Amino acid sequence: MRLKVCGMKYQDNIEQVAALQPDYLGFIFYEKSARNFDTESIPELPKSIKKTGVFVDADIDIVIKLVNKHNLQAVQLHGKESPEYCDDLKNRHAELVSASHNLEIIKVFSIKDEFDFSILKPYENTCNYFLFDTKGKHPGGNGYTFNWNVLNNYPSTKPFFLSGGLGLNEVEKINQFVNSKASKYCYALDVNSKFEIEPGLKDIEDLKTFKKNLSSILDNNKEIVMNYNVDEKGYYGEFGGAFIPEMLYPNVEELRQNYLKVMAEPEFKKEFDQLLKDYVGRPSPLYFAKRLSEKYNTKIYLKREDLNHTGAHKINNTIGQILMAKRLGKTRIIAETGAGQHGVATATVCALMGLECIVYMGEIDIARQAPNVARMKMLGATVVPALSGSRTLKDATNEAIRDWINNPVNTHYIIGSAIGPHPYPDMVTRFQAVISEEIKWQLKEQEGRKNPDYVVACIGGGSNAAGTYYHYLHEPDVGIIAVEAAGLGIDSGESAATSVLGKEGIIHGCKTLLMQTKDGQITEPYSISAGLDYPGVGPMHAHLSKTGRAEFMSITDSDAMEAGLELSKLEGIIPAIETSHALAIFGQREFKEDDVVVVSLSGRGDKDLENYIDYFKI
Amino acid sequence: MNRINQKLQENKKLLSIYFTAGYPNINDTVSIIQNLEKNGVDMIEIGLPFSDPLADGPTIQDSSTKALKNGMTTEVLFDQLKDIRKTVNIPLIIMGYFNPMFQYGVEAFCKKCQELGIDGLIIPDLPVDVYHQEYQAIFEKYGLINVFLITPQTSDERIRYIDSISNGFIYMVSSASTTGAQSGFGEEQTAYFERIAKMNLKNQQIIGFGISNNETFTQATQYAKGAIIGSAFVKHMTKHGADGTGTFVKTIQN
Repeated sequence: MRLKVCGMKYQDNIEQVAALQPDYLGFIFYEKSARNFDTESIPELPKSIKKTGVFVDADIDIVIKLVNKHNLQAVQLHGKESPEYCDDLKNRHAELVSASHNLEIIKVFSIKDEFDFSILKPYENTCNYFLFDTKGKHPGGNGYTFNWNVLNNYPSTKPFFLSGGLGLNEVEKINQFVNSKASKYCYALDVNSKFEIEPGLKDIEDLKTFKKNLSSILDNNKEIVMNYNVDEKGYYGEFGGAFIPEMLYPNVEELRQNYLKVMAEPEFKKEFDQLLKDYVGRPSPLYFAKRLSEKYNTKIYLKREDLNHTGAHKINNTIGQILMAKRLGKTRIIAETGAGQHGVATATVCALMGLECIVYMGEIDIARQAPNVARMKMLGATVVPALSGSRTLKDATNEAIRDWINNPVNTHYIIGSAIGPHPYPDMVTRFQAVISEEIKWQLKEQEGRKNPDYVVACIGGGSNAAGTYYHYLHEPDVGIIAVEAAGLGIDSGESAATSVLGKEGIIHGCKTLLMQTKDGQITEPYSISAGLDYPGVGPMHAHLSKTGRAEFMSITDSDAMEAGLELSKLEGIIPAIETSHALAIFGQREFKEDDVVVVSLSGRGDKDLENYIDYFKI
Repeated sequence: MNRINQKLQENKKLLSIYFTAGYPNINDTVSIIQNLEKNGVDMIEIGLPFSDPLADGPTIQDSSTKALKNGMTTEVLFDQLKDIRKTVNIPLIIMGYFNPMFQYGVEAFCKKCQELGIDGLIIPDLPVDVYHQEYQAIFEKYGLINVFLITPQTSDERIRYIDSISNGFIYMVSSASTTGAQSGFGEEQTAYFERIAKMNLKNQQIIGFGISNNETFTQATQYAKGAIIGSAFVKHMTKHGADGTGTFVKTIQN
């Protein structure tokens, strides 16, 4: 069962309550309330806590304005708001380009000794939750409980919040309630006035005691509702963390302490959005691939990340990270690259910002990706060959990390995928999340709905995938398909299908699935595509694999190459070989005729021409 | 009492040597250890090679790659060490990255270390907080000392935290670098050495990274209980093989 603490008012008190990790914190925006939240801003909260705005018959414009201003994840409607009002609010919010998440709507109903549940019906579609409060003089905060037996007749399956007069004296009663039928759809407990020293000021000790006394109940349901995002310790389920040598601790810790704060700064957001628009060319189109759809008898949309400046999704992240580096006062940028796409994207933003750029690249990759090496050099970057180990991406990453160890003060390391020690996987994911943010409104325009049936992306480390999935992770009606490179075949010994061949372990600073010997030595993957040729996956994807949230598929070199050629011929788009892996699933897996399948077209194929030429003897 | 703690009580500056197990040859492990003890080395770090040693420079990375090619594995190393306590008395520490230990099973690994007479572990990529929360009880159960690193960038507050978790010595990384990168110490290092010496930590410190000869050894041990030499010894092995151990140690001691 979840916990909501409502009626927060004072900054220090908010932080103290947040430290107890409730699931929701409520802020009342109602002038007549003694707990009216009239402060300019809400302090930075752990992302696991949903900020909830409480309104009483407020104008929708005002609600929307406050939702945006405070980045509220939920609104609780305490007045006589109609079902139409709720619909209108939800739609207005969804239309906002900046709406990066679904707004949860919690509609409140007050109960004393009886209640006509039939009035709930028209609210069922729009509202995410109901909240049952005690009927009294005020809209909420009356300080006594209602007759919970009324809920025995609850006819709905909509989860609800139990509210009204919950305090330490009610612990026993709550325990009984939880064991009764009436609590079947009870989702959360909502507390307020019984934990106050004065209106709006919460008693931390009492809250702690309450949480402790109800820990078996409060901890229990947490496991039922799966979180696919990073938690406050930097883990996705059991994966993630920061397994770094002490030499890197100050750098990574500096980033960890600052990244969310910096990303939330309006100035930062403005600059990021502006550059994505004017420099990268976003939004990237969401293109309905008609001929491809006809061929596979389903509705295929391509998210055209290949049309970004530099030809792939990689630049979304490098723009974000270079702005981050500047905010942190760094003057020197390092990066690793495999195929050279991330190296080019990093060299590009360094040129844009006038910062020194050093790119580590495996000696073997330098030889097979000459055009990208030339691009980086033209952009002013120094390309340093990684001569150790297998002399490919994994070793380039090692070298970049070593550089960072040797230059801890002035250097920022722009990791190119959703990998590495926390906070990198989350930071990279958030910068790439623009992909699914756009898909939502673009699909709404074209299909009348924001959620496709499937989102599909190829996975090396998994940054384009993370961005493509991000806003759909907690939308159960959206299937997630992750496509790995099978190389010459899963059992061939020449593969990069980490979810099949990998085992839990530690690589480049995080715990994730990785390909290794039984002694824990990291092995060399193989794929025809340099961008998928990585022995691990990002920790988020390891979690998606382990929990079964995502369906993992692996595609061989030859199937990928054929799919690349097919897209070229059917749609006039030559995809990167990485992307071709994602496209190859249509030959291997059935979709329904009316399924809407969005594929991240992560990069364009110019860089792979030589490979295509060799393969098809063009 | 753990051999490391006993050694730390001796009234002398300690010389500790790191070598990569399985290098230059797969079966050099025991003879290198015996030669080091015979030549007066106080403590030994046996490097368990790893494919991706992030904190190491080219010398140790190369020796690790070759050792793995030679066939070194966790099992092989444990097998080589099975009778080591019949002939060797000085403290022995295994230094390696976390993934091979994690795959072996942390508890099984620790148990085996205790059986073999290993006194401690140095695991550069196992962060102190993860150790503290998840593994400390296991290490203690098997009488192993875990050694943590600090660097010039480590804050005083964090050094105090590391000191509170440590029960042997603190490994002071001499400068912001990977292994084998430095030659000699400048003012910045000596200022750092002095700063740490003044903190009066519960655990004594041993300085590593950048110690390669008598001069740097003497400099470092002015401020700390001892010093660790790794890359310079590995380089010497490359040239002279396991038999060259004695000549190397003599150049440091003189």
